[in-house]
Amino acid sequence: MTFFAPFTIPFIIGSLVMFSVLLVKYILWIVRLPRIDKRLILHNIFTTKSLMAVWEIIRESLLHVRIFRINPVLGFMHASLAFGWFLLIVVGWIETIAYIGGEWVPLHGHVFFKYFMPINGITEHIWFFEQLMDALLLIVLMGVGLAWSKRLRSRLMGMRRTTKHILFDRIALTSLWFIFPARLIAESLTAAIYGGDGFLTGSIGTWLSETLPSNILLNLYEPSWWIYSSLLGIFFITLPFSRYMHIITEIPLIFLRRWKLKPTTERKSYDRFEVEACSRCGICIDPCQLQSDLGINDVQSVYFLRDRRYNMLTLKVANNCLMCGRCESKCPVGINLNTLRLNSRAKRRNIPYEGRYRYLRGMDRSSGEGRIGYFAGCMTSLTPGVQRSMESIFRAAGEEVWYADKEGGVCCGRPLMLTGETDAARKMVAYNTDLFRRHNITTLVTSCPICLRVFRESYHLDGIEILHHTEYIYRLIAEHRIDLRDDGRTFAYHDPCELGRGCGIYEEPRKILNHVGHLAEAKHNRRDAMCCGSSLANSVINDAQQLRIAQRMTEELEATGCDTIVTACPLCNKAISRVSTHVPQDVAEVVAKNILN
Amino acid sequence: MRNLNFGYGISRPRVINLDNNDLRKSNAIIAEMPELQACIGCGSCTASCTAGNLTDFNFRRLHTAVRRGEYQGAYEEINKCMLCGKCRLVCPRGINTRELIMLIKRKLGDF
Ligand code: SF4
Ligand code: SF4
Ligand code: SF4
Ligand code: SF4
Repeated sequence: MTFFAPFTIPFIIGSLVMFSVLLVKYILWIVRLPRIDKRLILHNIFTTKSLMAVWEIIRESLLHVRIFRINPVLGFMHASLAFGWFLLIVVGWIETIAYIGGEWVPLHGHVFFKYFMPINGITEHIWFFEQLMDALLLIVLMGVGLAWSKRLRSRLMGMRRTTKHILFDRIALTSLWFIFPARLIAESLTAAIYGGDGFLTGSIGTWLSETLPSNILLNLYEPSWWIYSSLLGIFFITLPFSRYMHIITEIPLIFLRRWKLKPTTERKSYDRFEVEACSRCGICIDPCQLQSDLGINDVQSVYFLRDRRYNMLTLKVANNCLMCGRCESKCPVGINLNTLRLNSRAKRRNIPYEGRYRYLRGMDRSSGEGRIGYFAGCMTSLTPGVQRSMESIFRAAGEEVWYADKEGGVCCGRPLMLTGETDAARKMVAYNTDLFRRHNITTLVTSCPICLRVFRESYHLDGIEILHHTEYIYRLIAEHRIDLRDDGRTFAYHDPCELGRGCGIYEEPRKILNHVGHLAEAKHNRRDAMCCGSSLANSVINDAQQLRIAQRMTEELEATGCDTIVTACPLCNKAISRVSTHVPQDVAEVVAKNILN
Repeated sequence: MRNLNFGYGISRPRVINLDNNDLRKSNAIIAEMPELQACIGCGSCTASCTAGNLTDFNFRRLHTAVRRGEYQGAYEEINKCMLCGKCRLVCPRGINTRELIMLIKRKLGDF
């Protein structure tokens, strides 16, 4: 059997280039991983985690279950392209075996089997495979059709915006768009000349042979296969350098993630897997309030990842993000967008000044005695009502409390981290850790979700339980250590980003509020909650822009018709109080006002 | 007689000495953050400052001096700041003071 024709050369070159570039990239990234990550891989590779990864790859890389859930039409587009193409390859491979048995056939022999059938004298068609392959081609073509119309009218997909692309992507995208129509034409022409009874290619073939004279058909025949092969070749060569890199990169990423690798505040080669696994689907654009409220269109995660991948990331883009996590919670690939954004900022050189924060040495402004430590946080000192409320709650519960920063304390360090000054932040972490240890506390309660997050994620406080005050208060209620009166008010609760998406605390504040009154939910709540706009993570937007974000967010809370707006973060509290006629209250304040004992 | 002071003397213009001060960096800072010119010197930023509560760091004095082209020791001084962001929340003119700190560091430091 012969399986060579000149037109296959573009395809062969394309696939060789693609496979070698992919191999080089992945090997380099793996080799450059820090030792601790390599050890994790060795430790987990021969466990059930790898099997779980295979299952996840089938669900996500082929079927795109998560995109389906977020947006069914978009999910169908991705699944029909990915799964349809995959089945075309697999079924095509089985088809070859069905026709010629177990003989070895080169890759292009499988791909262009329809071309090689007449050459090798196969004229009897297997009806089943003809129909199945045509059906699969039709499914893929439907996906392509959806992709075309997505470009034309992204609203059809239920998305306000679709991603803007760079040149490399355009080449890859264009070739991808035409690969399957080209295949349809090539196979139909083959059917027109040599016969075929697939419902799609066969019918078009019959129609072609009836309308066009046979010499034209014969002249079009070879070029049509050349076009199909060239398109495949172009697509394969551009794939590793374009957004389509995600098709393949998602596979190693899922394995690595199952083996417990994750990005950190320091950049490492693992990040490359996440960055290049972004499909630029654009799902992250719509949830971004910088886009919907301020019309800023070049900083969203999809653009940030693109810029970072091609080394065109500016500090301004890296810094213009609230790190609210709304996009991260929607990303179908599950990319750790906040962490990647954070370690992009860390690129800035840390402060060379050695004596920085020397004044912290030996400082201790704490007061009180007790196993429970209370860390109000910098922001809470701007909402002294929260601090006072916590004190009266502690008193009512008969708790002995050590106050870490009542007379002025040291920042938790997260604001420095958010700015990329991780080395400086380490000094705060060391100072506060030492302070907590020295006073032998076993529980640390904080009123600021920003502090809470950094205590949980970046401090090593083994043996000290770290609680947000809402968790602590709920525990007091559950243990009947404080009794609350029902004051009949309706509360609208605003989920702070760092508390909700950041630390996963959604229910405690709600349960507390339900003890005191009724809870009304804003349109966007819990994982979907809006950001107040005052996030320290964004150092680019100005005051007026912060206000606009706060306004839109507060409107939703006011629309519930509540009596009181409640939140659990001093920063959100400040933001709401600037734009609302309501006086926002903290959960702690609501509780303190209604304590019976 | 010279030391006799009847209270009618005038002080020397000692605050801004443009013969000595080089305003290039200051102008660059203001160009990047024009809103800084809206500062009314109210001192709210200093009053709320976390670092100022623990040390003699005075943010209002610092950014006022930098604006006047007096950079001596400003870089070392500004590194006392913890970037907690409280000053931005209290500024009545809505100046992005937290970014101002990073801006001053970028312009005066060597990175
Ligand atoms: S970051 Fe996630 S949601 Fe955004 S474009 Fe990439 S894959 Fe899609
Ligand atoms: S984290 Fe928030 S502000 Fe940043 S890109 Fe995502 S949605 Fe936009
Ligand atoms: S709070 Fe604002 S207006 Fe007042 S001194 Fe500071 S920067 Fe100037
Ligand atoms: S950000 Fe710096 S200057 Fe502003 S209040 Fe905090 S410590 Fe003070």
